[in-house]
Amino acid sequence: MNETLLFLIPLLPLVCALLNMVFGMRLPRLFTETLAVTGVAGSCALTLLFWDYATEGGTKAVLFNWLDSGTFQIAFALNFDRLAAPMTLMVTGVATFIHLYAVGYMHKDADYGRFFGLLNLFVFAMLTIILADNLLVLFLGWEGVGLCSYALIGFWYQKDQNTRAGTKAFLVTRSGDVFLGIALLWLFALTGTLTISEINALAQTISPGVVIALTLLLLVGACGKSAQLPLMTWLADAMAGPTPVSALIHAATMVTAGVYLLCRLFPLISLSAVGMTAITAVGALTALYAATCALAQQEIKRVLAYSTMSQIGYMFMAIGAGTVTGAMFHLLTHAFFKAALFMAAGAVIHLAGDENDLFKMGGIGRRGPQELFWVFLASAACLAGIPLTGGFFSKDGILLAVFSHPDPLYEFFWLIGMLTALLTSFYTFRLVYLIFAGRSRGRNQPHAVSRLMRWPIWPLTILGLAAGLINLPAFFGGQEWLHHWYGKLAGQTLTPDHHTEWLLMIITSSLVLIGWAVAHFYYRNVEKPRLNWLAIFLLQGWRTDRLIEQLLIRPFEAMARFCALGCDRVLLDGTLDGSAGLAKSWGVLARRLVTGRLSTYLSAFAWGFLIFIGWFLLRLLK
Amino acid sequence: MINTVDTLPAFPWLSLMVFLPLSGALLCLLHTRSERDCRWLGLTVAVATFGIAIWLFLSQQPNASGWFCVEDIEWIGRFSIRYNLAMDGIALVMVLLTTFLQIVSMLLAWPVRRHVGLFFALLLILESGLLGIFLAQDLILFYLFWEVALIPMFFLIGIWGHNRRHEAALKFFLYTLAGSLFMLLAIIGLYVIHGDQTGHYSFLISDLARTELTLRQEYLLFGGFLAAFAIKSPLVPFHTWLPDALSEAPAVGSLDLTGLLIKTGVYGLIRIAFPLFPNATSECLPIFGTFALVALFHAGWCAYHQDDIKRLLAYSSISHLGLVVLGLAAWTFTAWQGSLLLMVSHGITTGALLAMVAMIRQRIATRNLQKLSGLWAQAPCLSALFLLFALASLGLPGLANFSGEILVLIGTFQTRPIWAIMGIAGVVFAAAYMLRLIQRVLWGEPTQAEVADLSPREWLILIPLAILTVWLGIYPATFLKPLETPVLLALGGLP
Repeated sequence: MNETLLFLIPLLPLVCALLNMVFGMRLPRLFTETLAVTGVAGSCALTLLFWDYATEGGTKAVLFNWLDSGTFQIAFALNFDRLAAPMTLMVTGVATFIHLYAVGYMHKDADYGRFFGLLNLFVFAMLTIILADNLLVLFLGWEGVGLCSYALIGFWYQKDQNTRAGTKAFLVTRSGDVFLGIALLWLFALTGTLTISEINALAQTISPGVVIALTLLLLVGACGKSAQLPLMTWLADAMAGPTPVSALIHAATMVTAGVYLLCRLFPLISLSAVGMTAITAVGALTALYAATCALAQQEIKRVLAYSTMSQIGYMFMAIGAGTVTGAMFHLLTHAFFKAALFMAAGAVIHLAGDENDLFKMGGIGRRGPQELFWVFLASAACLAGIPLTGGFFSKDGILLAVFSHPDPLYEFFWLIGMLTALLTSFYTFRLVYLIFAGRSRGRNQPHAVSRLMRWPIWPLTILGLAAGLINLPAFFGGQEWLHHWYGKLAGQTLTPDHHTEWLLMIITSSLVLIGWAVAHFYYRNVEKPRLNWLAIFLLQGWRTDRLIEQLLIRPFEAMARFCALGCDRVLLDGTLDGSAGLAKSWGVLARRLVTGRLSTYLSAFAWGFLIFIGWFLLRLLK
Repeated sequence: MINTVDTLPAFPWLSLMVFLPLSGALLCLLHTRSERDCRWLGLTVAVATFGIAIWLFLSQQPNASGWFCVEDIEWIGRFSIRYNLAMDGIALVMVLLTTFLQIVSMLLAWPVRRHVGLFFALLLILESGLLGIFLAQDLILFYLFWEVALIPMFFLIGIWGHNRRHEAALKFFLYTLAGSLFMLLAIIGLYVIHGDQTGHYSFLISDLARTELTLRQEYLLFGGFLAAFAIKSPLVPFHTWLPDALSEAPAVGSLDLTGLLIKTGVYGLIRIAFPLFPNATSECLPIFGTFALVALFHAGWCAYHQDDIKRLLAYSSISHLGLVVLGLAAWTFTAWQGSLLLMVSHGITTGALLAMVAMIRQRIATRNLQKLSGLWAQAPCLSALFLLFALASLGLPGLANFSGEILVLIGTFQTRPIWAIMGIAGVVFAAAYMLRLIQRVLWGEPTQAEVADLSPREWLILIPLAILTVWLGIYPATFLKPLETPVLLALGGLP
């Protein structure tokens, strides 16, 4: 089989997206929906079909030359290798279920053509990131993801708040992209190529100081897309979009892009210890920050948003600790259970009568199908890290890697990680109790939850619960399949003694159970939120929005005002008008001479004649 | 070697291309009774001219020094002024852009009601002037075309413009005229110096480039040319005429102004100022780079503060031109190719946006961002295309401007990393003002009662522009290929 066929994986969603965008509204609704789902499902099937291409160093395919200028040669090329294959499968698989769910969720929305077109385009952009053979094609997907998130967060564009959230997401992530862009330019200047595998191969030749700088630049770029400190403020507001979009952003596309980028360039970034420590620090601090914010949130989707931020923080910690497997393992399990959680949350919101506020929920399980409670609980258990769920194994692997890192600073990060695990369990069960426990506090009429909104949650929940199997640690009788699959790309191998392993596992498990117990104690029966200053501070995400407004947005606008009014209007146009005015006033002066009266002219003539004669006489006398 | 022998190809395609619009203009003027005929005549001539350009692009092969077609005959023997038209890859790309955008202009000018014959005649004269600028190799001929292109624009703004049209037209005219007078002085100065030196008087660029000048002379003459080109480009701080002229000009006028006329400034730098004064150029490159960066940021900020869409687009053009000049100042092959490509892309995307502004204004009678809202709800097709061009303009990969921008940045990084880093930061500025524009125009609740979606004529205008936007973004090789040899030659000119 021809390897160019690999391009079908990303192009299938693209073609469906374009078809839906152009013709979507002229086609029957069912056709549009089917097309959208087929596009993604087809590309999932193709991934399975082409799976063998990923073994042995992967397969590269070239479509045609994109940019060709002197030494700068960039082709539309993709690389289907061991790192890309599982991620592709996850993205297309999870996205398929989300698309199915979206068909149910959006069944009343009139603008379905645009919605499904953008949804497919989103998947295409993410697949481009995953499969890109060079950094410029990756950048194409990277910006494409930014665009799709912008358009989908602001999908209901009549409300100003939604489109503003979209704009914010685009601008914040684009600020991060500047740093990625600089890294890209620099890498090309250093290595003369943007092909990822060649850069990784040449990484050893780059001087250590430059590697540190490059790693930090890539880190900031990754932070933008993955909503890590300090570029995290957009994610919580991104909840303005329809729920399937949130599920897509948080699970399959968008936020995992940063993690994937760092994994892709792991051979490069792992050369700098400083850079790796910075990555871990960013991950740890974000994990803790987001977990504290999640404690006080009152909207169901915002809790989940902060939980995503926090979990991505774990993935960054894994990369910083040197284990690509750990990061990717958590990425995969997280994708399953987070998608399930968001989809369940969408159903919950429906049942609560379009109510987002947790304190107006309660007893939701009694309003609709009982199964909703179970899927939500199961996914929440994964998020909290209840032993033997998928989330437990992947998170535990990361904490183990951080703990066994030789650098003493990592002990500190490990402590933060443990604290975050405790907080995670607490806020997750707070969420569960607030939604399902006690009696109903809301007054809105529940909407029915259609079958299409229920059954796609099941497979994802089961995958989330069972995902531990793909990288089951040895002392549980597992083979660490994922680690072996990645082979050379997997990063560091961990061989701690079983003693430590058991100890850590028991500590994390007990922390998780403590978190549950505390949540049970406080939130089993709650009527109103307790708002003290700390809760408000956390609710507002540590007031970072205001900080950014004062530090960045206001000065930017002031500078814009200065440039437009101060410089251009007053200084430049003022000078021009001034000189024009000067010329004009000279003209006015000169015009006074032209009076039209003969006497003036005659006297002027006489005076002039006199002066001329006088001058002539003077010359003669000399 | 001094070339005094007339050379003429089998068929003078270039002359035909340059003078076809002019003769069309004469016909329009003579035949003003039927408005309908004038429109169709204008469109036909524009299409025919574009056809010639395409034919030249497809059929002609450049010779070793990169020239396609040369037409060189004596014109005014006493002053040894020659009628010399020639085309290389750079000129070819500009000619393609010009002839293409002129078709768009004709279609866009369809609804003009006052003095239709004169309007189309002026557009055609403008096209002749522009084509002449891109093809003339004799400085007097160049100067002539330079002024020919100026005058129709003056009338277009002054007669068909908006409320403050007289002020804007005067400002535009005086500003550019002042610049061109300096250029004329410099041309004559160089002519005299060259003639004294060699005993052979000539206005040909290729002859004058061999003049031996002291650095002082170079600076003086370079300054003369620069005055014309910097004002036309426009470089900060000589840019304030553009927002005024653009906002007061009629739709077609603003499209031609940003899409084509300001490109002649940069083209003049590449074709005339740089090769004639290599030493002064190499000394001045850092200053160019600095000014380009100032333009990029200053205009970006200004654009963010505008409420009039046309002024916003004017400033965004100045900002983009800053990036173009930055690439030129970096003086690398990749950056130059990027700059030239960015000029084309900018012509297409900003031209398209300006055309759409005119369409919006016909429907809603305002260009004020504070008053516009919610267009998507009422005219989704129009809005979708507006979004496409706006996204291209903010540099989304896969669409037109990105290809040029990334080449500029990659090329600039090779020689001046700091410039490239600052240049890439300017990209966020573009995102900031473009997203503000999109936010105000497309999203939100609609404020007006009924808005019609695109008419067939508007589809006809926008679809080719949209196709080109994607084409330039995905397969720019079509346009990069002809640029290779001339850019290499131009860069080799620097010691």
